[in-house]
Amino acid sequence: MGPLAINEIISENTNLFLAFIIGIGFGFVLEQSGFSSSRKLAGVFYGYDTVVLKVFFTAAITAMLGLLFFSLFGWIDLNLVYVNPTYLTSAIVGGIIMGAGFIMGGYCPGTSFCGASIGKIDALVFIGGLFIGVFIFGIGYDLWDGMYLANFLGAPKVSESLGLTDGIFAFLLIIIALAMFWVAEWAEKKFPREEY
Amino acid sequence: MKPRTLLALFIIPMGLIIAAVPQNKTKPYKLTADELLAEVNTRTQYLTPDAVADMILKKDPSLQLIDVRSQDEFEKFSLPGAINIPATDLLSEQYSDILNQDVKMNVFYSNGSLVANEAWMVTRQLGYHNNYVLEGGLNYWFDAFMNTQKPASTSSDEEFAKYDFRKSAGLALGGGGVVTATQEQTSASAKPALKPAGKKKKAAGGC
Repeated sequence: MGPLAINEIISENTNLFLAFIIGIGFGFVLEQSGFSSSRKLAGVFYGYDTVVLKVFFTAAITAMLGLLFFSLFGWIDLNLVYVNPTYLTSAIVGGIIMGAGFIMGGYCPGTSFCGASIGKIDALVFIGGLFIGVFIFGIGYDLWDGMYLANFLGAPKVSESLGLTDGIFAFLLIIIALAMFWVAEWAEKKFPREEY
Repeated sequence: MKPRTLLALFIIPMGLIIAAVPQNKTKPYKLTADELLAEVNTRTQYLTPDAVADMILKKDPSLQLIDVRSQDEFEKFSLPGAINIPATDLLSEQYSDILNQDVKMNVFYSNGSLVANEAWMVTRQLGYHNNYVLEGGLNYWFDAFMNTQKPASTSSDEEFAKYDFRKSAGLALGGGGVVTATQEQTSASAKPALKPAGKKKKAAGGC
């Protein structure tokens, strides 16, 4: 049955429209959970507030379980679901740059738009920086396209490279996530902050 | 109860279930049995040998002949420009790009029509388009082009036109009318496009 757009059950335009609706819902939930505060996001790195980690990991696990169960019931063909291709070098370098930006700016790209939508100045500045980064990357593409495209691995899944079935890997990830939540809450008690 | 405990109580059993059940690797069929039966009855998947020969001679770039016989048989003889996808490996990942596409016209052939038709039914049920079957398979192909029978003198002009086409197509496709089912001669390959140049040609297939 699914993916709906690929199997031509809904049109490409309906697909975009649904993405728009879901996107608004996503933004609303982010804002309601307090993700439009840069202090809350930076809190993950200092340990005083780890709600971001918990929310995103819970979301990932929910989506993962949902997809696996849908596949089990024959509601979605996982072979047709797009998996981002992996360019190992640029994934590592990009991860470091994004992580540094995350700590310094207190936003990730999604939450910065969330913050901007309720008029936060720092979020607007962050978005400005985001566009400067995109611009520099585009202008200097010839300088780093070698690194950008290095170590192409196709679109592997972690479960495949570990030789596990998707289900067993999912279960391990759930255990890891719950352990991380426990550590995160321990950190919140260890490094408390009164006002932020 | 703490939210974390509540979450754990829900997702750990879910994770255990998903870890325990086998992965769903079935390829969902896109056509229902009724739809497939309706398509089978129209017989639109068949291409006549004359239509295929015409495309080969015109070097039609959209034509992709696919030999669904075993590799052994393929190496002994194949039609010009054909590729080999043994029917047993039809669902192998490496061939899905060839079978599931919107550009070329894939024509399955085997010795008779049976195996080619099976390949067509499987791919059609997976929702693939642009796959066809060579009517009559190689047996009929040889009958038509390598062993062309002159129509009776009372036949219609159409029959004679068909005969003339088959005779000249047979020549161009390398048969030259010298290969018959009983002679088992070395093929006098007129065109380099014919793959097993110089090889002994087996009698026209046989189911």
